[in-house]
Amino acid sequence: MNIRPFLFRITALFLCAFLGVMLFRGIAAMPPKESVTGPAAHYLERASRETGARNVVGAILFDYRAFDTLGESTVIFTAVCGISMLFSRRKFHRSSSGLSFIAKRGIGIMAPFLIMYATVIILFGHISPGGGFQGGTIFATVTVLLCVVFGSSFESSYFPPKTKESLESGGALLFCGIGLVGLAAGTGFLSNLSAGFPAGREGSLLSAGTIPLLNIAVGMKVGAGLSAIFYSMIKMLDTTNDYREGGPIR
Amino acid sequence: MSLAFMVFLYLFLIATALVISAIGDILSAVITLSVFGILLATAFAILQAPDVALTQAVINSGIVTALFLVAFSQTERPPCYDKEEEKEE
Amino acid sequence: MITLSYVTSVIIFCIGLYTIMARRNLFKTVLGLALMESAILLIIVSSGYIPGGVPPIEPFMGPAVNPLPHAFTLTAIVIGASDIALALAFIIKLQRHYRSVDLDRIRGLRG
Repeated sequence: MNIRPFLFRITALFLCAFLGVMLFRGIAAMPPKESVTGPAAHYLERASRETGARNVVGAILFDYRAFDTLGESTVIFTAVCGISMLFSRRKFHRSSSGLSFIAKRGIGIMAPFLIMYATVIILFGHISPGGGFQGGTIFATVTVLLCVVFGSSFESSYFPPKTKESLESGGALLFCGIGLVGLAAGTGFLSNLSAGFPAGREGSLLSAGTIPLLNIAVGMKVGAGLSAIFYSMIKMLDTTNDYREGGPIR
Repeated sequence: MSLAFMVFLYLFLIATALVISAIGDILSAVITLSVFGILLATAFAILQAPDVALTQAVINSGIVTALFLVAFSQTERPPCYDKEEEKEE
Repeated sequence: MITLSYVTSVIIFCIGLYTIMARRNLFKTVLGLALMESAILLIIVSSGYIPGGVPPIEPFMGPAVNPLPHAFTLTAIVIGASDIALALAFIIKLQRHYRSVDLDRIRGLRG
C-alpha cells in the first residue's frame, strides 16, 4: 500500500522525461532563422505605411488581426460571466476596514499616478510598447490595491460593479461599432485606413486611424473585466473574515 | 546581452519552477510564482519583446498573484457558509 | 541562445506536467498549469528571435525580430490569466462543497 504512490511518482517522472525529450526533438526540427520570412516580413516592411502605427505588434493586434482580438476579449467576457455566476449566491456583503493609516495615505498619493500611467500606456499604444491589454491590466491592478488597502466597500463605492459592467459592455460595443463603420464604408469588418479613417502624422498621438480607439475599447474591456473578477472573488472573503473574528470590524 | 547572463537567468528560472513544484506550502509556492513571472518578463525583454514583457510583468505579478492569494485565504479553513446572514440595522 | 531558450522551456514544461500528475492538491494543479503555459510562451517568443535583432518598433535600428509571435503571446497571456481565475473560482466552489482541496479526498467523499 505504501509503495504505490512512490511507484506512481516514478512512472510520472519517466513519462514527463520521455515527453520532454520528444518535445525538444520536435522543436529542434524547426530551422534556425537568420531573417524574418512569411507574412511577418510584409508586416515589418509595410506596417507603418498601411496603418500609420509605429508599434508593429499593435498594428498586427488591432489592424491586421483585429478580429482575433475581438474573439479574445470575448473570452475574457465569458470568464467574467462564469465567475459572476459562480459567486452570485450572496447578495449582501460587509467589508473589512482595510489596513493602517500609513498604508491608506501612501496608496492615496500613489493611486492617481498609477491611473495616469495606465492611461498613458493605453493612449500611446500605437507609438511605443504598450496598448489596451497592458494598460487595462494596470488599471485592474489599481482597483486591486484599493480593494486590499481600503476594504472592498470603499472600492465598490468608487468603482461600482454596475459601472464596471457598463464599461465592459461599452468596450465591446465600441469595438464592434468601429468594425461596422468599416463595413459601412464598403471595405470590410474592422478595416482601418482603407475605410477612410485619417492616418495623421506618423508618430503623433492622433494617428494610425482606428488603432487608438480600439486600444481604448480593449483597455476598457480588460480593465473592467479583470477588476470585476477580483471584486466578485474578494467580496466573499470579506464576509467570511468578519464571521471568523466574530462580527464586522467597524 | 551576454550569454552568461542568459544562462544565469534560465538557471534561476528552472530553480524557481522546481521550488513551485516541490514546496509543500501553497503560500510560498504562490509567491515564488510571482518571482518566476518577473524572471520570465526579464527573459522576454532580453528576447526583444517589450510588449510581451510588459504584459507578463503586470499580469503575473499583479493580477494572478492577487487572485491566488484571495483563493488561498478563502480555502485555508472552512468558512461559516451555513450561517444565515443577519440583517444590519 | 535560442537553443538555450528551447531547453529551458522544455524543462519548465516537464516540471509543470509532473506537478499536475503527481500532486494531489488542487492549487498545485493550477500552479502547474501556469508553469506549462509560461513554458509555451517562452517557446513561441524565442522562435521569433533573430540574433542581433531589435524590437519591432519603428524606426528600426537594424534587423527587427518577428512581431507575429509577440502578438500571439500577448493575447495568450491575458487569456491565461482569465483561465486561471476561472480555475480558482472552481476550486473555491469545490472547497465550499467538499470542505477540502485534496483531490483524493474529493474523489473519496463523492456526495
